[in-house]
Amino acid sequence: MKAVIGKYGTALAGLAVLIVLVIFARNFASVANLTNVLKQTSFLAILAVGFTFALITSELDLSFANICSLAAVVCGGMIHGGIAWPLAVLAALAVGTAGGLLNGLIVTRAKVPSLITTLGTASVANGIAFMLTGGVAFVGRWDAGFLALGRSSIAGVPVLIFFMAAVVALGWLVSRQTRMGRHMQATGEAEEAARRAGIATRRMKVIGLSLSGITAGIAAVLLVASLSSAAPQMAGDYLLNGIAAVLLGMTMYDPGRPNIAGTFTGALIIAVLGNGLVLLGAPYYLQDIVLGVIVIGSVSLSASVLKKAAL
Amino acid sequence: MFRTCAAAAVAIVTAFSANAFEVGVVAFQMSSETHARVANAVEAAAKEKGWDVTVLNSNGALPTHAEQIENLIQRGVDGIILAMSKPVEFDAQFAEAKEAGIPLITVMSGASPNALFDVQVNEYSVGAQAALYLLGEIGYEGKILTERFESNVGTRIRGKVLDVVLSENTAVTVAGSHSMARTSSWRDDVRAGMQALMLQNAGDYKGIWASFDGQAFVIDDLLAAEGKQKGDVALVSIDGGQEAFRRIADPASLLQATVAIPFEQMGRAAVDAMEKIAVEGQPKEAITAGPYLYQDAVLVDASNVDQFLGE
Repeated sequence: MKAVIGKYGTALAGLAVLIVLVIFARNFASVANLTNVLKQTSFLAILAVGFTFALITSELDLSFANICSLAAVVCGGMIHGGIAWPLAVLAALAVGTAGGLLNGLIVTRAKVPSLITTLGTASVANGIAFMLTGGVAFVGRWDAGFLALGRSSIAGVPVLIFFMAAVVALGWLVSRQTRMGRHMQATGEAEEAARRAGIATRRMKVIGLSLSGITAGIAAVLLVASLSSAAPQMAGDYLLNGIAAVLLGMTMYDPGRPNIAGTFTGALIIAVLGNGLVLLGAPYYLQDIVLGVIVIGSVSLSASVLKKAAL
Repeated sequence: MFRTCAAAAVAIVTAFSANAFEVGVVAFQMSSETHARVANAVEAAAKEKGWDVTVLNSNGALPTHAEQIENLIQRGVDGIILAMSKPVEFDAQFAEAKEAGIPLITVMSGASPNALFDVQVNEYSVGAQAALYLLGEIGYEGKILTERFESNVGTRIRGKVLDVVLSENTAVTVAGSHSMARTSSWRDDVRAGMQALMLQNAGDYKGIWASFDGQAFVIDDLLAAEGKQKGDVALVSIDGGQEAFRRIADPASLLQATVAIPFEQMGRAAVDAMEKIAVEGQPKEAITAGPYLYQDAVLVDASNVDQFLGE
């Protein structure tokens, strides 16, 4: 019983919140709202999956939100410049990948701690985004095919949910079912031992941080298509939310360790709480307070699990 | 007895809640004074009418703003009022509200075919008033410094209008211009940027134009720290509010004038219009024929500041 609560306690708490909302929050359980919640989870979940990969290799990526914003303005700027949108999408993905790769190379080659590196690249990405836009958002000229990436539905289900499902499923498969995923985990848990066992730990860290950049690029394209605009700092809010989702995810399924299933559930809990608080008519500042409590609570839970494991 | 009273109280509250008109308010960035002034005015006016009000904050993030509007639609509010929204970016959410039959009024946001109208001041006119006042104060010749903000539509328009005015008055030159980039730490940004310009120009400027009052307050403090006194440099800005009026009246402050935008009045106008349309069933045309409900912005300087102080 204790083991079950340790593994699934957060998910069960999330379920309890869900039940409370179904009972007390008007329209919460409607199909339209549940679809809405899943759609709202999509950007956060996609970004958080990438952050999870960085964290699996024991590296922090505090730049993913700013890299996402930069990729978004590159994508938007190219489309507004008359370049075919598929090329703009590829450019956004390239920006995300390059940002992640750069983080990885600086961390592993120049031996700069990832906290410092990614804080630096976040600032650089922010500066470039403002340089490209002059602070002005790209709005108002989008190809219908491009907008469909973020706004269309298949059988009534927003396409964003499919993108999220694909990224989460792929992330779970890579982290759990591939040799690379296992090597990344080994790198994150005992780097020296992994290196002695022949694992290319530096490469795993580069891959982890690059994956974080790639998902930032994917989220950027979907954000631009969904909001029909591209602005510097447009993904800024996802930094804290993304970290919260991953930390919350570390308290369940594989307690103390970053894991994709946990991250997805964490992102879902955050989206459900955000939606539920509005449906309950809670004041706006309560959302920030709840998010802060989640971050502190999940870190303390993860830390206590890790401490017990070490004993 | 207690139980009976409590049950009766709950029943009464529930009955009132069920019948009260409910308005959802979303401020794009509650940390911005002007956004908060509109949202707070809407909340106060709606409560005066006995309505239920849900006030939300988008923290200046585009995705969060979209989510907040979507959540209000799911909550099934009777009307939505948005402070400083972005109709082009959120056309999908606006259309969703229209489809759900929820009347939507925006304040200082721009027009949308899916909103009833936008409560607005004419930013071009506001910009012209401030620019001409400044030029008048320096006798239409000499150097000025400018502090801009390009990420906001209103402040950007004010800057563009200043440029137009300057293009017709070539005896006035811009000795230095700083454009505020960061939104989270903008005060530091303004302080650093303007301090550098002041040092570069070593007192060789007659006036300073700031795109909004918050910037002017920082600049005012910098000038005061340099030992300058009212009239040494003409400092002009836009927005209004009690702090601006206090400084205009204060002999120790260098702020000479602002163009007062009636944010509180705009919030109240939005609520009154919502009542007429959504509660009394009057046609939108009874309020305004076009996409805007214009309010007057008044230039406030030493000559009329007493009328605004303590209002």
